[in-house]
Amino acid sequence: MKLLVTGASGFLGKYVIAEAVRHGHDVRAVVRGGSLFQDLQRPVELAQVDLRSSRGLTQAMSGIDAVIHLAAAKSGDLYTQLAGTVVATENLLAAMSEAAVRQIVHISSFAVYDPMRLPSFSLLDEDAALDDPLGDRDEYAITKILQEKLVVDYARKNSWRWTVLRPGMLYGPGNLFNARVGLRMGTGWWLRTGAWARIPLNYVENCAEAILLAVENPQADGQIFNVVDDELPTQRRYARLIARRTVPRPRIFPVSWTIMRLIARSAWLMNRAILGGRAKIPGIFVPSRLHARCKPLRYSNAKIKSVLGWTPRYGLIEALDRSVAVSAPAAGAVQQGYQQSNLVESSGGPA
Amino acid sequence: MSQPTTQTVLKAAAIGTGKISEEHLRFLRGSRRARLVGVCDLSPAMADFAARRFNADAAYTDYAKMLADARPDVVHVLTPAATHPRLVNDCLCGGAHVIVEKPVAPTHGQFQTLWSLAESKQRRLVEDHNYRFNPPVLAIERLLAEGKLGEICEVDVRMSLSICAPGGRYADTHLPHSSHKLPCGVLHEFITHLCYLALRFIPSVDRVAARWSKHGNEPLFKYDDLDALIFSGPVHGRIRFTSHSGPECFALTVRGTRGWAQTDLFQPHLRVVVPRGGQQLSGVMNQIAGGWELTRAGVAGFWNKVMQNTAYAGLHTFLSQTYEALCQGAEPPVSFTDMDRASRLIDALLDERNRL
Repeated sequence: MKLLVTGASGFLGKYVIAEAVRHGHDVRAVVRGGSLFQDLQRPVELAQVDLRSSRGLTQAMSGIDAVIHLAAAKSGDLYTQLAGTVVATENLLAAMSEAAVRQIVHISSFAVYDPMRLPSFSLLDEDAALDDPLGDRDEYAITKILQEKLVVDYARKNSWRWTVLRPGMLYGPGNLFNARVGLRMGTGWWLRTGAWARIPLNYVENCAEAILLAVENPQADGQIFNVVDDELPTQRRYARLIARRTVPRPRIFPVSWTIMRLIARSAWLMNRAILGGRAKIPGIFVPSRLHARCKPLRYSNAKIKSVLGWTPRYGLIEALDRSVAVSAPAAGAVQQGYQQSNLVESSGGPA
Repeated sequence: MSQPTTQTVLKAAAIGTGKISEEHLRFLRGSRRARLVGVCDLSPAMADFAARRFNADAAYTDYAKMLADARPDVVHVLTPAATHPRLVNDCLCGGAHVIVEKPVAPTHGQFQTLWSLAESKQRRLVEDHNYRFNPPVLAIERLLAEGKLGEICEVDVRMSLSICAPGGRYADTHLPHSSHKLPCGVLHEFITHLCYLALRFIPSVDRVAARWSKHGNEPLFKYDDLDALIFSGPVHGRIRFTSHSGPECFALTVRGTRGWAQTDLFQPHLRVVVPRGGQQLSGVMNQIAGGWELTRAGVAGFWNKVMQNTAYAGLHTFLSQTYEALCQGAEPPVSFTDMDRASRLIDALLDERNRL
């Protein structure tokens, strides 16, 4: 197949490119600036376009069989993220439509779920309720909710083949700490918000493999899958494991989930009762955001395993060891640093 | 269209749902003088999101359809500046009053054309001069009106913004900001604010001299620095924009024959130095008063941050007064003269004959 991968130069994108090439696909990588994917078994084309504009997008779709849509803005204010995630997706879908590309695998997020509606320690699976983008979730969650709905509605309306994957907390080289652990307090101190909640981890190479299975397997059509690994550590264990692999080793200051929840609830009530809900309080003290980060829940990968036959290749310890041992994605398979004009083919290096 | 009465609720609509729209739409959602009948954006998802968020009756992706279907009394034009002339023209022709983000048009000639059209259609055309309505600016105007600063001698308006910073919206090389193509480049996004604030305290303009510079190396930028002088008889004015000195500020200083007042609209405070406590103690008393004011402003600034009161505080006052005026059939708070003078001054600053 010939695949178009958006967000190709992001953390997950580089692994997806490497995995797609490993599976024998032709890949066209959508990048904003100049990026080069070297040392892969097959050449990777670059489509140097910015999804926030429709310019050049239809051209980039030429000859494409399926799109893997990873692109999303992860920082900036609401309007920056709306442009980088929602408007970008609109432009992508319109270009797919124009170029008659009829398959999309969209990478969503656990951020779309509404954890407030789930009791503690209940199962969060693909049927869990989604959050309301008009609520008080953060910018990333708001835009990912809007983005997923956009993709599914558009694909259904146009009778495309579509699949949504919702990875848990992605981790890998250079990306071990995440919001489920807590907060980084400057250098050397971590505030661990909770202890016993399982973290829905998903090692980046495992996730890339799941994405390729979703592209290739017709059973994935019209399906939504949560993607988490088999071994999901508690916050306490994971914090210890990654602290051991962090230099200098940080000191961990634990705060219990119950206390965090009480503080957030009190702050929220005071804001509503006394300040009319107008005060801007830190995200970790906004109940819906705190629950999204730290609520103890159970997770399942049963659906993606049974439908697509996916099995996470790397267990937790092996994945962590790979993460600290491997400095560049996919064992150095993907590197950056090349300037090219619109839609060019890079040289394929040795395997 | 509604006839102006004391009970009038105007049908309002907005074109553009970007960052600045948030403040306009928040005002419209809470105003007793307005009902938001439509929001329009080229992006259906953005239009729909804004409509749901701010309780608009409908979302549109075609402003002509919105004008025809919703028949708004007032349209807020909140799109990039280069699109203003066409959109303002079409809204006026559609029978709506127009409130437009600054600048109304990139050149004074285009502004005049639009103003003539508004006159011929008997519609109001109002440019957003929101910082004029921020409390510290109003306080300085009161001090002058009460004679506490004496006669005006100098006005200094200074904005420092790191527009060239990597990762910022104006320095994005992947999708260059549309304002780079305006006559002042990105500075056109801010120049109207600087001009109308200076002109608020300068009665007429005899001569201007401007130095437009680019001190940085970023290829996108036409200018990143402006230093301009305005001469009006005995009154001297200075307009300064820099993207290199920190921290970011939007400072206004007005000096009179009796004393001076200073504020920073990004970190609101008001420092007033006037004769206090007799000749011997005046200096000390002013320092004590200044210290007290800065302490008070520091606490208020923290509170404003918590309560999400932004530098756009004046926008809500401006819109509130504009809607009252439209409902009453009265002159809006930003008049033709205000807009005309600001637009003329921008043209004069750009005029090659006035370059330093």
